[in-house]
Amino acid sequence: MANADWLGLKNELPQRRRLVLTLLSFVVPLALWCAVSYVPWLWHPNVRVTVPGDVDYFVEEMELPRADFQRELEKVRAAGGTLPEGDRVNPLYLPPPHKVAIAFYTAFTTEPRLQGEPWLHESLGHSIRTILWGFFLSSIFGVPLGILCGTYRFFSRLQEPFIEFFRYLPAPAFGALCVAILGIDDGPKIAIIFIGTFFQQVLVIGNTVRKVDPALIEAAQTLGSRGWKLMRCVVIPASLSEIYTDMRILLGWAWTYLIVAEVVGTMSGITLFINQQARYRNFDNVYAAIFMIGVIGLTSDMVLAALGKVLFPWKRRAGGGRWSVLEWIREPGSLFIKQKPKPPAAPVAEISKD
Amino acid sequence: MTPHTLALPDYREQLPEVAARFGKIRQRPVVLSVKGLRKDFGGNGASHTVFNNVSLDIHRREFVTIIGPSGCGKSTFIRIVAGLDEATGGEILLDGKAIRGPGPDRGMVFQGYTLFPWRTVKQNVMFGLEMRGQGTSAAESEARQWLEMVGLSKFENSYPHELSGGMKQRVAIARALANEPQILIMDEPFGALDALTRCKMQSYLLQIWKKVNVTILFITHDLDEAVLLSDRIMVLGVNPGGVREIIENPVPRPRSVDQMLTPTFLSVKRRLDELIHGPVSEQEEEKLPVIKLTEAGDEVE
Repeated sequence: MANADWLGLKNELPQRRRLVLTLLSFVVPLALWCAVSYVPWLWHPNVRVTVPGDVDYFVEEMELPRADFQRELEKVRAAGGTLPEGDRVNPLYLPPPHKVAIAFYTAFTTEPRLQGEPWLHESLGHSIRTILWGFFLSSIFGVPLGILCGTYRFFSRLQEPFIEFFRYLPAPAFGALCVAILGIDDGPKIAIIFIGTFFQQVLVIGNTVRKVDPALIEAAQTLGSRGWKLMRCVVIPASLSEIYTDMRILLGWAWTYLIVAEVVGTMSGITLFINQQARYRNFDNVYAAIFMIGVIGLTSDMVLAALGKVLFPWKRRAGGGRWSVLEWIREPGSLFIKQKPKPPAAPVAEISKD
Repeated sequence: MTPHTLALPDYREQLPEVAARFGKIRQRPVVLSVKGLRKDFGGNGASHTVFNNVSLDIHRREFVTIIGPSGCGKSTFIRIVAGLDEATGGEILLDGKAIRGPGPDRGMVFQGYTLFPWRTVKQNVMFGLEMRGQGTSAAESEARQWLEMVGLSKFENSYPHELSGGMKQRVAIARALANEPQILIMDEPFGALDALTRCKMQSYLLQIWKKVNVTILFITHDLDEAVLLSDRIMVLGVNPGGVREIIENPVPRPRSVDQMLTPTFLSVKRRLDELIHGPVSEQEEEKLPVIKLTEAGDEVE
């Protein structure tokens, strides 16, 4: 039945198709970008002058809108002078894919223009450090508080209404305040990531913990579990794998606060790099840096997802793959086997008749 | 058209050995005593009484089943005994002491298995022992014994999701029994199993009950299951809610599936059917207002 339809509702697709679709999700946007960059009659709104001809203000390598170039050309043709020549190009801010690909490498090898400016890897390191600190500090308060709110109505009533209010206050709004309190270095940046993460974290984790199957708690109670033990031995382990997933999503949110956080006080990290490269008009570097954030985010999430499978073995269901690339990375061979061999069915122990 | 009906004996007739057995049971100390239990739902004017004035004494090592139509509150009753719900009135004594909240002296097996998915089979059975403060190695060896008893030693390191429904329920039974409760409460434990597995589990439960010092309070809506397993059957009704009758089951022990066609077995079953669905003469099949959609001559009966 592997050749059933591609659009079956809720039907898990065969592994090979999942991989194809995953690759396509990246290939399609890339192909669009390539088309706009390399097919000369697609878009390309500017002209780069190669031969200035008799237009007095044209110089080689100069770029101008196609309409302007055409007007000058007509003028020169009417006057009977040497015609200018030029190639159709895209604006500077849309570099072709290969330049960005090269920049992925050269950005790391290019020495900073000014002395004392950070290398790209230093900028990235700085950003990652800022995120991790903000996320770590948020988690050591947010996770326990979330678990308390999810477990006890008392804490939920006591905390959540205020947090619900506070989470609507945009974290960047606290920028000036954070600088006033924490100075201009990393303090306010970490604080903004903290503010952006913490309040969501408490609510999200509280909700997750509330979803623990009440039947499990009742079963534990009839087995003599109560109070603190009930929380430690049932509520927390029952929600731990979901909390872990929440944390992965929250870490993604923390990244979205990074750029805002890094412009607070003295600009730093990857934001500083991007801004400077944009000022030097090295847009290939700008794209490379932005994509690097994506690569770091996606890679770390995949690593965490794989780690989750190790940490929570009871969540591993036979055959139920969520993300084909992950499986493929773990066991490349599985791609070429149509169906994973099922583990032998557990024999049900025979029961003799009474 | 009347189908052939058997002339069945009175369900109150007991063989001498059965009568003697009930005599012996009555001599034993009362483990669980329910007195005038009442449960209302709703409150604030619009309350609805689920049952009222339910009284029942369960003796040591007795097997009591509660049966009744849906809505009679049998699950509510059992949850109150387990301490998971609160009664509106009346009292429940376990070994002469009033119960307060859930506790390990009343083990419970739920219909939905409720095994802890993050614990292996062995760790599930160890749970109650750990809660009691027993050391890991002692709890482990004890858990192994219980798993051996339910025949799941081979699966001690499996996770619950790797087991079949019947196996999960055996783990749940082992987990509850490991606590050595005064009474084992079972809330339709085999309701989610297929007929064949259910049948195996029933004979299995009887074996365990024989081997282990435990009193069982069992809920089912399956008449055969009730007659096959229990010493006494308490029938609950609706409108008004409460005890219809407490039947002393005359089917002799040891029980087996073969007894299900004996006149004694059928007499109890018919009585249960009467109590739950009303007397046979009053039972009217509801005629559905269906317009005939088949062609004439295409009858099935």
